[in-house]
Formats: sequence, C-alpha cells, structure tokens
Amino acid sequence: MTEIAATAVLAPDVTTDERAARSHLARRFLTNPLGIAALSVLVLIVLAAIFAPLLTSYDPNTVSVLHILQGPGAGHLLGTDGAGRDVWARLLYGARYTLAGALLATVVAAVLGITSGLVAGYYGKWFESSASWVTTLLMALPGIVVLLAARAVLGPSLWTVMIIFGVLLIPAFYRLVYAAVSGVRNELFVDAARVSGVSDRRIIARHILTVVRAPIILQASIVFGIAIAVQVGLDFLGFGDQAIPTWGNMLNDGFTNLYRDPQLVVWPALAVVITGVALTLFANALRDELEQSARPRRRRRATTVTPAEVAAATVTPAEVTPATVTAADPVRPESGTIVHEEPSSTAQAPLLLHIEDLAVGYPQADGSVTRVVDNVSLDVRRGEVHGLIGESGSGKTQTAWSVLRLLPAGGEILEGSICLDGEDLSTVSSAQMRDIRGGRIAYIPQEPMSNLDPSFTIGSQLTEPMRVKLGVSKTEAKARALKLLGQVGIPSPERTFASYPHELSGGMAQRALIAGAVSCEPDLVIADEPTTALDVTIQAEILDLLRELQRELGVTILIVTHNFGVVADLCDRVSVMQKGRIVETGPARAIFADPRHPYTRTLFDAILDESQARGPYAESRSA
Amino acid sequence: MLTFTVRRLLYGVLLLFVIVTLAYLLLYAAAGNVARTILGPTATQATVALKNKQLGLNTPLISRYFSWLGHALTGNFGSSWFTNQAVTTAILTRLQVTLTLVFGAVIVSAVVAAVLGVWAALRGGWVDRLIQLFSVLGFAIPGFIIAVFLVRFFALGTHWFKPTGYIPLTTSFSGWVGTVTLPVIALSIGLVAGVAQQVRSSVIEALRQDWVRTLRSRGVSERSVLFKHVLRNAGGPALSVLALSFVGLLGGAVIIEEVFGIPGLGQVAVLATSEGDVPLVMGLVVAIGVIVILVNLLIDLLQGFLNPKARIS
Amino acid sequence: MFRRKWPGVAAGAALALLGPLVLGACSSSSSSSSTLTLGVITPATTFEATDMNWGNESPYNEAVYDSLVQASPTGVIEPHLATAWSYNAAKTVLTMTLRTGVKFTDGTPFNASVAAENLEAFQKGTSNNASDLAYMASATAVSPTKLVIRLKQPDPAFLTYLGEAAGSQESPKAWKSPTASTVPVGSGPYLLDPKATVVGSSYVFTANPNYWDKPEQHYSKIVMTVYTTPTTVLDAIEGGQVNAANTFDDTTIPQIKDAGFTVYPLQLNWAGLSLFDRNGKMSGPLGKVKVRQAINDAFDRAALLKDMSDGYGSVTTQVFPTNSPGYESSLNSYYSFDPAKARQLLAEAGYPHGFTLAMPSITSAFGETTYALIQAELAQIGIKVNYTDYQGSTIFTAILAPKYPATYFTLEEDPVPWQLAQFLLTPTATFNPFHSTDSTVAGYLNTMQTGSSAHAAAAAKALNRYLVQNAWFAPFFRPQSSFVADSHTSVRVQAGNAVPYLWNIEPKP
Repeated sequence: MTEIAATAVLAPDVTTDERAARSHLARRFLTNPLGIAALSVLVLIVLAAIFAPLLTSYDPNTVSVLHILQGPGAGHLLGTDGAGRDVWARLLYGARYTLAGALLATVVAAVLGITSGLVAGYYGKWFESSASWVTTLLMALPGIVVLLAARAVLGPSLWTVMIIFGVLLIPAFYRLVYAAVSGVRNELFVDAARVSGVSDRRIIARHILTVVRAPIILQASIVFGIAIAVQVGLDFLGFGDQAIPTWGNMLNDGFTNLYRDPQLVVWPALAVVITGVALTLFANALRDELEQSARPRRRRRATTVTPAEVAAATVTPAEVTPATVTAADPVRPESGTIVHEEPSSTAQAPLLLHIEDLAVGYPQADGSVTRVVDNVSLDVRRGEVHGLIGESGSGKTQTAWSVLRLLPAGGEILEGSICLDGEDLSTVSSAQMRDIRGGRIAYIPQEPMSNLDPSFTIGSQLTEPMRVKLGVSKTEAKARALKLLGQVGIPSPERTFASYPHELSGGMAQRALIAGAVSCEPDLVIADEPTTALDVTIQAEILDLLRELQRELGVTILIVTHNFGVVADLCDRVSVMQKGRIVETGPARAIFADPRHPYTRTLFDAILDESQARGPYAESRSA
Repeated sequence: MLTFTVRRLLYGVLLLFVIVTLAYLLLYAAAGNVARTILGPTATQATVALKNKQLGLNTPLISRYFSWLGHALTGNFGSSWFTNQAVTTAILTRLQVTLTLVFGAVIVSAVVAAVLGVWAALRGGWVDRLIQLFSVLGFAIPGFIIAVFLVRFFALGTHWFKPTGYIPLTTSFSGWVGTVTLPVIALSIGLVAGVAQQVRSSVIEALRQDWVRTLRSRGVSERSVLFKHVLRNAGGPALSVLALSFVGLLGGAVIIEEVFGIPGLGQVAVLATSEGDVPLVMGLVVAIGVIVILVNLLIDLLQGFLNPKARIS
Repeated sequence: MFRRKWPGVAAGAALALLGPLVLGACSSSSSSSSTLTLGVITPATTFEATDMNWGNESPYNEAVYDSLVQASPTGVIEPHLATAWSYNAAKTVLTMTLRTGVKFTDGTPFNASVAAENLEAFQKGTSNNASDLAYMASATAVSPTKLVIRLKQPDPAFLTYLGEAAGSQESPKAWKSPTASTVPVGSGPYLLDPKATVVGSSYVFTANPNYWDKPEQHYSKIVMTVYTTPTTVLDAIEGGQVNAANTFDDTTIPQIKDAGFTVYPLQLNWAGLSLFDRNGKMSGPLGKVKVRQAINDAFDRAALLKDMSDGYGSVTTQVFPTNSPGYESSLNSYYSFDPAKARQLLAEAGYPHGFTLAMPSITSAFGETTYALIQAELAQIGIKVNYTDYQGSTIFTAILAPKYPATYFTLEEDPVPWQLAQFLLTPTATFNPFHSTDSTVAGYLNTMQTGSSAHAAAAAKALNRYLVQNAWFAPFFRPQSSFVADSHTSVRVQAGNAVPYLWNIEPKP
C-alpha cells in the first residue's frame, strides 16, 4: 500500500452504531464473496510464512558462491539472488519478518491507541486535551523522515523501526475509539447503567467495545498494510536491516541486479502487491457490511397489497348500513371507492389534476413488483384544498411524488395517467417535467431541516430556481425572495436570507420552504404533511399561513396528512387512502358528517374525544 | 474567522517548537561521528579532531541548542556540514521543487478523483466496478514500483519524458512538463485511489438526501443539482481525506525523488538524515513543520467555506 | 548498494590496459559553443580550496582552481603554476619557480606569498587530504616568483600532492568572504555560475575569458550533475542527459555499452582483508604468520571477483597496483585457492580446530552478500567470523581505535609507493591501527623515503614481496571502476583517479 493510504486510517469514517455491531456482522461478512476471497488469501500467506520450513528445505540466509543469479529451475523453485540464496526460501521466511514487523507496528498502535482512546473518551478532561495535543503532533510528522532519523540514532533494527512507526500511527486507533466512547458516553442508557451501579469497566466493556470491535479490525488491516509499505519503502532506500530476509530487502536486491537478472524483482513485488490488494479488499468488504447494517431503513415501508386485502378494502353494497345508503351514493364498481357527491349548489370549478387508475410499484430483485399504490383515482379542482388522508404506509406520499415524477430510486409508475390541466404528465419528457416542477406544480416537504441543502444559504436556495424559471436578474430575484419571506411571516427577511439552514428553527425553515414553493407562482401546490415535524403551536401558524396564501394567490393545494384536525381546518374535499387504495372521497363536510367506509369510521373513532380513558376501578370480587 | 486563524497559528508555533526541540536532542545523540563521515577514512585523527572543533561538537548540548535556537529565530539556520551551503538557501531552492510535485499531485488527484468518483456513483455497474478495481490497485501497489515502471516505459521506452532531473518552469515550459509529469503521476495514483472512493460514497450519500428531491421539485437542472449542490456537499469529506494524506504525500515524495533523481526536499532529507548533517536536518524539520501546519490551516479554512456547520463562530 | 563512494577511498591506482585509450587531438582552440554535461556521484563538500577533497570531487576543483603542478595521465609531474622546481640534496627543501602574469578572477595577482599562504591554510584545513602536507614544516615566499618549502622529512609523494587539492590556489581576498564555500574565486579555466547552480545537484560553469592556459579549456560551458544511485546514472545515460559520467559500480556496464557509451575501465582500489593485528596483541592467532597465510589460501579469488564484482576487475594478492614500481606479477601466484593447505597451515600454527575472529561490517556500504561470502569461505577452513554491523562512519572509529584485529575493506592503491606507504604501511599510517612494523619493513620504508628513485623502487618491490609472504593483508581483487563517455567526447583517463582530469576531456572533432 502507499504511504498515502494513511488517509483512510486517520479519517475513521466507519459507523460505530451499536445496532451494526450486534447484527451478526461476522455472519453477514461471510456472505461477501470478495471479502471471503481476500481473507482466504491473507490466511494462506500467513500459513505459508508459519510453515515455511515445510515448504522449502533451503535456509534463506545461506550464501552460495557458485550459484548466484540463477534462474528458476533445477533445485531452486524461483532461482537464486545476487548472493546465491534461494529466492523461494527468502520469500517464505521474508514473509515471517515482514508480516511480524507489520504486526508489531499494528499491535503497538492498537494497544496504545485503544487504551488512550478509552481513557480519554470516558474520563475526558485533562487527559483528553493532552492526548489530542499529542495526536496532532504525531499526525504532523512525515513518517519516513522520522523513521530515517530514528534509524540514524537507533540503528537499522526492523523491530525498533516498527515500534516507532506503531507509535506514529497511534492516532488511527485513538481517534476511532475516542469518537465511539465519547458518543456512547452521552447516551442516556449509560447514565442509567451507572445509576444502577454498573461499574465503569463493565459499561466500557459491554457497550463500547462491542461497538468498536469491527471498526478496529478494519483500521488494523489498513494500518497493517501501511506498515508493510513503509517497511518496503525504507528497505528500498537501502535503510533496512540487511541481515534478515524481508520482502523489502529482496526488492532492493532485485533492483540492484535489475539488469543482470530482471525477474528477481517480480517475486517480492508480487508478494507485496497481493498482500496489499487482499488487505484492501478485506477492509473494503468489512466497511461495506458495517455501513449496510448500520443504515436505518430510510425508505418508507412499501406495503404489499395482496388480493385478500383488496377484497377486504372493497366495500360491497351489502355491508353498507341501510340508513346511509341513498340512491345518490354510487359505489364505483372496480375500485370500490365510496364517492360522496358534491352538493349541487356549488358550481364545479374546472378540473386541475386528474389522476386515473394510478398504480405505482417497486420492482424487486426476484422479479416481483411491490405495489404501493394501486388503482387510485383522484380529482383536484382549481382553487380547492384537497386533503389526502391515511395512515403511515398507505401510499399517500407515494401518490404525491408520482405527480411530481420524483419517486425514490427503484419506483415506477406502473399504470394509469396523471393529467394536469388535461396534459398527461406520465408521458411528458424530462425536460418538460422539469419546467413543470416549480413552475406549475410545487412541493412543500415534511421535514424542513433535511430538505434544505446545508451548504447553501436560504437566500441562494430561494433565488437560484427563480432565476432559472423566471429569468430574472440576481437583484430582482433577491428582492422577490425578501418579499416572499416577509409574506410567509418571517420577522427579519434579510437575516434569514443570509442564514444557513442549520441556523434556523424548524418553523422558520418550513416557512422558507413554503416561500420557495410559491415563489414561481405555481398552479398546484402539493404539501406533504407540512406540519407533522413541527411543534403544536407552530403547526397552527403554518396552517394559517397556508390558508392565507391560498386565498391571496388562489393556488390549488393537495395536502397529504394523517391528521383529521388539519383536514377539518383547511380542506374543501378529502380522499381517504388505505393500503394503496382510495377507499372514500368527497366533500369534507359530507365525510365528516357521514363516514361510510369502515376504515374511515375507524379513523374517526381513533380521534380522542371527551370520554373517559377508562372506567372506574372495580374491586375484585372475592369468591 | 480571524481569531480562529490566529489561534491555530499560535498553536502551530507551539507545536513546531516542541517538534524542533525533540528533533535537536535526537539528532545530537547521533552526531558523534559526523566529522569522520564528512572527512572519510583517509583523514587523520588530527584532522577529525579539528573538524569536530570547527563544527562545535565539543561544547555542551544545551548551550548548542540555545545557540541554534537563537540563530534560528533570526532566520539563520547555519550551513550544511556536508556541502557548506547556507541551510536556508539549500531548503528554499529545493522547496519549490518538492512543492511543485506535491501540489501538482494534489490538484491532479483532486480533479481526477472527482471525475472518477462522480462517474462511478452515477453510472454504477461495470464503470463502478472498474473504478473500484483501479482504486484497490492504486492503494495497494507501492509508489516506487509504479515510479520505476513509469521511468522504464514512458521515459526510456518512448522518450516522451525525461527519466531524471528537474527543469524549472522559468527555464523551459516543455522541459518542466517533461521532468514533472511522471513523478506527479507516480505520486498521485495512491491519492486518487483513496479520494475517488470517498467522493463516490459521498456522492451516493448526497444523492439520497431529501433536499435533492426538494431541489428537483423546484425545477433546478440536474446539472446544477450535481455539480453545484452534490459536489459541494461531497467536497467536505473528500477534503478531509486530502488533508490527512498531505503528510503522507511528503513521505511519498522522498521515495519518488530518489527514483527520479529530482533535487527536492525529499532527496536532501534522505541524505541529510543518513549522514547526520544536523543543521540541514533541523532546517528540514522546521520547513516541513511549517508546511504541514500551514496546509492544515488552509484546509480547515477551506472546510469552513464548504461546510457552513463546521465554521467556528 | 546505493550508497555513494567514500571520498578519497577511490583515489588511487593503475590505469588498466583494458579498454581503448582514446588519445584525442590536443586541440589548441576551445570549441566556441560546446557544452559538457558531466555526471558526478557526489556533490562538492565545499568550494574553499583549503578544505576541498580530491578523488570523486576533483572535477569541482579542476574547474575553478589551478594547482602548482599538474600530473600527466600517467602520473608524470609537469609544470603548471610552477614552472620549475628542485630539491636540495637531503630532499628536505623544495624550491619552486612560479609563473608570472597570472591573475585570479577578482583581479588579485598570483605570487609566491599567495602560494605560501594557500599551502599553510590547506595544512591546517579540514580537507580529507589535509595530511598530504603533514611533512611540510614551512612555506616561504623568497621573492614574488620564488617559493621555498621546507619539509620535516623527505616525502617522495610531495610533488604529487602539489598537483592535487593541496596545491590549489585560491584568491586571498576570497578567504574572508562569507560565501567562500559556495562561490569560489580562483584562476582556473571556468567560473561557477551561482545563479544557475543548484547546490548539491547541479553545478554550472562558464569558460573563464581571461584564462592563461587556453589550450586546456575545451568547452564554453560545463554542467556537473549529481546522481545518487546507479539507476539514475543509467537513466541519464540512456536518456541522453550526460556526455560523460563517473559510475558507482559495474552493475549496469552492459546497458551503458548498449547505449553507445565507451567504458574506460580503471582499477583504483583493492578489495580484501586487512589483517591489522600482525603482532597478535588482540587476536593471538593472527599474530602467527602461518595463520595469516592460511587465510590467504582460503579464498577462491576468481569466484569472489565474479560474485562480488561480476567479473569486472582482476584478482590480486598484493596491495601495490600494477603501475607501481613495487608491483611484481609473479607474486599473484604466491597464494592459490587451497582450503586443504590452509587447514594444514592452521594446524601447524596450533589451531587444528580453527578459531573465532571478530570483524566489523558495514552492510549498508558493501552489501550483505560480501560479508556472507567471506564468512562462508573462512568457515570452510574452520575460522568462525562474528560480525558487528556499523552504520556510516562509526565503523572507522571502531577500526581505527583499534577495536578489531582485522576487517574487510576496499582501499585505495596509490601508484606512488610512498603515498601507499603513508596510508597503509608506516607505523603512523592511518590504516595501520596497531602500528605494526618490524626491522625489515622499517628498513625498506626508510629507503623508499630517502633513497634515490632507483633504490626507492627496488625497496618498494622488496617490501611488496615481504608483505605478501608475511601475509600482512589478504587481498582478493582489484575491482574495476568505470568512467564512461559518449561518442562525441574523447577522454584520457588519469592514473590513480576515478575521474579523468577536466582538461583531458574534450569534444571529438
């Protein structure tokens, strides 16, 4: 490995999630073919080194005056070097020294680094500050120069050099362990354990060491590789210990005799490269497994819709209670959606969004397709606020994203059409869709913080799309943005304009996002649970804001929510989704007054009311 | 920002002071025979004794240290014991050579790694695998093996580049390119491997973020999403990798300069440390220390620019 | 091994008759616009004449300084800044007549008092050849053109020394200059260009327009580039980056030849064991002649030459070089590879089961192979060698202490017998750490020092024979060093020096 590989060592970006550690990492690692192959190669090399006497009858240091620089052949598997020593023997015994030296450096770095990391992380204070100081010092020293100087003072012994190198690499382990420990230390459960009397040592052993187990192995393999590389480098410069066989000395001898016998360099070079590659692949595989197991499931759980569930969701006329059935309430035969009719007094506004028989799914590796939205039809009229309500996993957000054609990776629109003002969006080109997004359809996300680019100011994130879509100048865009920020109720627009997302509160960020959504005067605004992530008091404010904007700008809003309160507050019409299908739709008043679908009724029943939480306590009757 | 910079610089000075003191004590522990080394075997003991006196090796260590320190603070680092050249001159003339190589490697690596990392992240499939393979190999093969290979094939085989030496930019542009290209490539390969991997995973991670969807929902072009937003966010971790590898690059430069016969700091470091040329080694220690501290500071400032959360308020 | 040669060790002996000796036409006009790029293997330690080294560093000196006399390629002393000289009968007073009208490049005139000061400064200086002037008692300017040098004892090598670093003449004004060590002021054929020079790696010289010896100035510009490893030397040769170069070793000779360069082989050193403890003070066995003779019989010199030097060089049993009056070719057959005879000699000396011998090693300079081979050959006759490895120059301190009764080393073979004697053989010689001597040796040495040239030559021969028969050393071979030059450059190699003298390197017409 290169000396530059030290970077990977000093930037421990490995996940120290406890969940990761506990999830049978070893077993999962064993399913990684590249990792297994790499590990086998390493084991083979170590075994060859250990069993060297069995694999060759030659002594690696025996010089033979008469047999120098012989090629591979009779008697010598790989030939002899410049002193008549058997190359294969030197390769095998050299493996011992090279590997042992690297192991020494790794062990020194690990033992000192881990212990100091544990102590510094757990007890902190002065130990931590002096340790971090020493760490910076060690990291500032270029390894090879220090080793050269040390060698000048202490002599060329491989062991001395490797010990010193191990000391130089302490930061690799220290930083890793320290980060893990100080992270866990702040977890509440550690305090709880302490309160219940668990000793420090047990806490450290049980919680912390489990977490860093795998990352330490990862670091160790990288450090090991670097130690080999540095050894080889020093030997190449001629500064190694000449009396023992090492791969580096073999390389040096090979280069000296490069013109007399070119193939001498090949064997030690191969040995070094193969070991390095195996170590790198092993480390990569380990890191991949760690990261995979640690990543929390980010994608919203896609529910599989089975035929049985479809049947259950479909309401047959016989189940509808007679009292509520009127001739004016038809049931759509295919989807089974209950549709409440509009009161005939209201004039029907033109249809803005017309979704028909939409199906969205995620193709799986085994060929099946997981459907998250099935046979959904939805109408949104101009100027109305339409609520799309359902539980988590009902497919409402997926529906919203389909309209924008911004489904997560792997998602596809399987069937159906989405018409915006008559134009079918599912057939439009990407460039056209891009024009439509922001300009005609806007999006207000759920979680404000994670939906703003942390590296750019609010102002830049507001003005950039405006300049692209509206073609205005920078100053003009800024002026508009400031005005918008004022409109959404931000007290000091200038300051917010110049702020970064992490400097704002959730409520302010959400207002900024709303400002962004309406900045290009869209026709339709899709709001995806815009208040769920906010405090209760802020929720009310945001809802007021949305209502105001809708009145002032006349935008149509499709609001996705699981909260009936929001629906009651804002919506003109409502659609209820369950397991990827719309089960009931109609004017909000009608549905509130008379929910017909069993699922809708369950939802209403789940709303807390004034009734007591439990009945009076009854004495147990004695027999 | 200003207080941050000043504080870091002061901290760096303190660090440098510690390094320098340690180095001085360490070196003088081994300086006993340097007179003989300079003069060689044929000189008489009398000449050796005279040389020892001339080098000031007969005075106590502490007084020598303070004398050196005093001179150093005024910018006088003495002269090399082996070439009699003023240490500051020796280091400054060679410094630009090594820095050319090192910064050349950093820039080339940054650009190539960014391209490869983004390509691997976006395309996936066989492109991704190929780039991963290249990364593994670049990581695992020691730099000097690559260097020797480059010399054999590209300098001597095809005569496109010069096998040894260094021609400054001010002397001849084509000459400079001819002598600098291969060493920079040899230095860069290991670095590209590491940074490309980091860029790739950062880009993949960034593309998974919610704000990417929100930006797209605003109608921002894919190109802007990728090159303005994603790369900016991916830059931070990649920059960390670059920062940490800078010190490793200096070590790598030592070997590369030996192979290519380039008169840089690395070549002088090998010679000076092996001979025990104390004034020159001390000058080197100071020079390298200053470079590392300044580069780390620069990178921290750059990180602050890239990642607002990292800025020290 | 990639270490640079010790300065001075390779200053030494015979010109081999191998290889073409190109006698270039001594062109009287300097080529007006030609450049010589010379590859050197060591940087200049300093440019202060009083501290400069010779040998591998001689080109630096020759470029900028003149010396009092000049040695021809075969070692004959010829006039240069001194036009004539003579000894008194006792050979303790040397009177020299100096050239007039020579000025240093800073305008200072050269005269006898300048010469005297330069000599005295060199004697007190830190050149590794400072001991060349060890016998000088005083140097006095009797007139501006007459210099009288008084010697404490006769020194047959003195005039040779005056043609090397010891005789270099530097302008007196430059002595006080703070830049004296990097900016030389001499009267020589070239001027150092400090701006184009990168100290330690590339030195640039331009022709001195006012040089008084124009026939010796063959180039308008000389660039001396320092290479630190054999590989980079070869790369430079193959890449056409040098016209001529000094080399480290023989590992790349075939490739250099393939690149179209001519190889000028030299044998300047002998490699072998120095059996210092001839009186048995530290190692009883070594004090016995038969033991030392047995050691001489234990080595297969031809095989060692092949293994340690790839066959480049020639085997030898003597420390005197072929072009020395003391050389006798028949002595080479005095010992042969005969381990059986060696064991018998050991038994006769009272060591039938051999003995243990402690020796220092410096594997970083000579490589592990060398020492392993020696150990193996001696083990065959029952002598067990225990090495202690040293780093850098600490080995000399150990050798010269003396800490060991014997050692392997590659040492210079000077063609001037007295020079060799002062280095190896006299009781006060540097490489005679046990100060061994006996009446026979002392007698021969005395004749060499004070006798007429004929008597001195005979004494040298006799001494050589005595040393071989009494096995003061166990030489193996004379390794070949090579100087190489391209087809546009003609070269006359210098007896006893690794690098030809600069005025003997010319562009081919």
